[in-house]
Amino acid sequence: MTKPTVFLVDDDASIRDALSLLLSLKGMRAQVFTSAEAFLETYQPDWRGCLLTDLRMPGMSGLDLNQSLRQRGVSLPVILLTAHGDVATARAALKSGAFDFLEKPVNDELLMDVLTHAVERDAQIHRATTQRSETLEKTGRLTQREREVLVLLSRGLQNREIAAELQISPRTVEVYKARMMEKLDCRSLADAVRMGLALEQEPAAGENEPDRPVPRLDA
Amino acid sequence: MKDRLRSDKAAGLQPMPSHHSLTADGALALAYLLGYLLIEAISFAQPIVKFGVTPLNPQTGLTLALLVARGPRWMPLSVLAAFASEVLVRQTPAPLVELVASAVWISVCYACLAAFLRTYGGDDYLTSLRSSIRLAVGVILTGLVAALGYAGFLVLGDSLPVESFWASAERYWVGDINGMLLLTPLLLAAPRWRTLVAPLRERRWEVLAQLAAVSLSVPLVGGIAGIEQVRFLYPLFVPIIWIAVRWGATGAMLALLAIQIGLIAQVQQSQLPVRFIDLQFLMLTMNLTGLLLGAAVTERAKALSELATRASELRALLAVAPDAVLTADTAGRLRSANDFARALFGMPVAAINNGTAPTLHALLPGMELLGSEGRATFAGRRSDGSSFPAEVAWVQLVAPSPAGTLAIVRDATTRRLAETQARERETLVARTMRFAVAGELASSLAHELNQPITALVSYLRASQILAAPVAAGEPRLGETLGKAAREANRAADMLIRLRDFYQGGGGTPSEVSIATLLRGVMESLGDRLRASQVKVTESVPEELPMIQTDPTRLEIVLYNLLSNATDALSDTPPGGRHIALSATCNDGILSLAVDDSGPGVPPEGLPLLFEPFNTSKPDGMGLGLAISRSLLKAQGGDLSYRRSVRLGGASFVATLPVGPAHSPST
Repeated sequence: MTKPTVFLVDDDASIRDALSLLLSLKGMRAQVFTSAEAFLETYQPDWRGCLLTDLRMPGMSGLDLNQSLRQRGVSLPVILLTAHGDVATARAALKSGAFDFLEKPVNDELLMDVLTHAVERDAQIHRATTQRSETLEKTGRLTQREREVLVLLSRGLQNREIAAELQISPRTVEVYKARMMEKLDCRSLADAVRMGLALEQEPAAGENEPDRPVPRLDA
Repeated sequence: MKDRLRSDKAAGLQPMPSHHSLTADGALALAYLLGYLLIEAISFAQPIVKFGVTPLNPQTGLTLALLVARGPRWMPLSVLAAFASEVLVRQTPAPLVELVASAVWISVCYACLAAFLRTYGGDDYLTSLRSSIRLAVGVILTGLVAALGYAGFLVLGDSLPVESFWASAERYWVGDINGMLLLTPLLLAAPRWRTLVAPLRERRWEVLAQLAAVSLSVPLVGGIAGIEQVRFLYPLFVPIIWIAVRWGATGAMLALLAIQIGLIAQVQQSQLPVRFIDLQFLMLTMNLTGLLLGAAVTERAKALSELATRASELRALLAVAPDAVLTADTAGRLRSANDFARALFGMPVAAINNGTAPTLHALLPGMELLGSEGRATFAGRRSDGSSFPAEVAWVQLVAPSPAGTLAIVRDATTRRLAETQARERETLVARTMRFAVAGELASSLAHELNQPITALVSYLRASQILAAPVAAGEPRLGETLGKAAREANRAADMLIRLRDFYQGGGGTPSEVSIATLLRGVMESLGDRLRASQVKVTESVPEELPMIQTDPTRLEIVLYNLLSNATDALSDTPPGGRHIALSATCNDGILSLAVDDSGPGVPPEGLPLLFEPFNTSKPDGMGLGLAISRSLLKAQGGDLSYRRSVRLGGASFVATLPVGPAHSPST
């Protein structure tokens, strides 16, 4: 996990210099790249933050870069810097999953606003991804019976109802529940229920799989 | 005798085929000899006077016909014929030397005449007055020389008394003239007898009446008047002149032949004491009259028919002429006007005849001021008072036609209109092109300047932040930096407005047929393509869908692409300069490809191909392709380059969506 950074891609040296200066003064970390190709070459999956790229560049354009990242499953938010009037291109960019676009010359307050939002979004995505992988990792330790108890519990069923559903005694349900809470490292029942919901949303949850692979971010 | 003469004529017919084979020549020679001797035998069997002199010497006509048809080199044959007849038929009581000499003399005379006629006689003695006069003069003069010689030889050989020299020579002379005038033209015309008698069938009854007149006139005249009075024979001229007037010399000579044979037969049978010399001169007069009158009539008929042909051709020409043709007298009064002229000026058909037509000066005011001949454009006046641009060429009519003016008038309205439209379209294209150039300039300027402005604005904001701690003592610093940033932003806004102004300009989209549009572009480039010797092949299906676009902008694109292709071919040898234009439509996208057989775009030129201010031409701006691409993109299309598969050079493909164009970005 690294500190959120604004990755700035522009072929114009002055713009790279000016924007990175501005960003650093506004308290943001900035890393600059001279082209889309250069960014793709050095990109690491654990990079957090957002990508601010010029639209019109020789070689790979900003739009191409965005598409390339989406194809690789990279969730890093992309903000496109367009010349004024490139609305059609900007619309196409949003359709293909870009976070936002900004017209040059860029208003610094608007820029900071968009960048902050983008970084937050990235963090959110990252958190969700991390949490999910943790949940999966923990629920992986559960036995079949414990898992079933967790799922039914998160559906809001009482101990008695769970016992009837699983055709076991309420007492046994209590035992499973306690063991499950311990395995999941939960301090409260609410935590366990949240995990149970996440587990249910997981498609084709494998049975007794000790380790579900964490979704990879890089290609 | 009549039948025999016909057979002689038939004998004369055979030698005429153009290729003279040896067999045919032999047959001709034999036929000539036999014919000659036969005529001689008939004449001599009933001689009027000594030495076989007849009023008519047909054998001389036969000889001259042979020599004219086959040339003087056949002279030895005529010598042989003359000698043989003297020895075999006449058995002339003269020394052999004398007979040979006279035969040679006569033959030489007629061979000379034949040589003269072959060179100067013309084609046909029956249809040309000029030819027939030469024949007549030649025959009379040569006949005289021959006759004097013949009689001279007889006197020298003591076969003829000196005192009858003149009388013999004279009779011999006139007899020869008659024989030649009558027979030679007929024999020479014999190969064409089918075409000559063809018109006779059309007027059968008249021909029968003329035949009757000919066959009755001789016995009639002879019966009533008796032949002793030659003056009563003059009515015989009547049928001859009638026939000559109707059928020309051919008919006249045939009639003369029949009449004269009949006359001789009657004279011989009746044994009437008609004066021989009178009869001879009557025949001579008849022959000359028939030949010359007939030839003159034929010639006149031919001239009249040629005139009629020309007149009818002229009428047809005037009727179909795509221009108005008018003639007027010196006062300007219209004498004639063709249908086109009447329609053009709105004149009623009868106007010229009843004198209500306006004068030429009223139709084309100002023409008379420019002289009697010329070429100019006037305002033509129609009868309803309206006017039109009239291109006029006029000349003065001179004798033999009545003095006046002939004018050819062309209505230039349509052409003027087409020229105006073409000019207007070119102006529109040029204006749109200028607008597009300015738009491209503004666009690239805006883009290029926007970069430093963006940096500038960011630097200024950074400066404001940096200055914040130190600016406590000087509040105007932050304020000033803010003002600077605002000004930079204003500059950027102005650039954008400038670009938008030009990009928004141009025509409104309409339904456009690609085929029609291409035709227009090809027309305006036609001269240049022809001058550059470029062969253009088009494959543009007529059934392509209509597209919704601004035609002028698309015209500019096509014009640019074709113009580039033409320039690219300048280093290619003329024979190999090809441009292929093709259009296809797939999935709602219309593609227009312009391929050329030039060198194509070099690889190093590709990255910047569509960038503005990038050109390979010494005098180019480097905006053509950039503008074309911008224009197409503004209408939802694109322009791309590839190497031409068909022609090996460059291939530019313009694409446009079919149906409503995407709203152009602003």
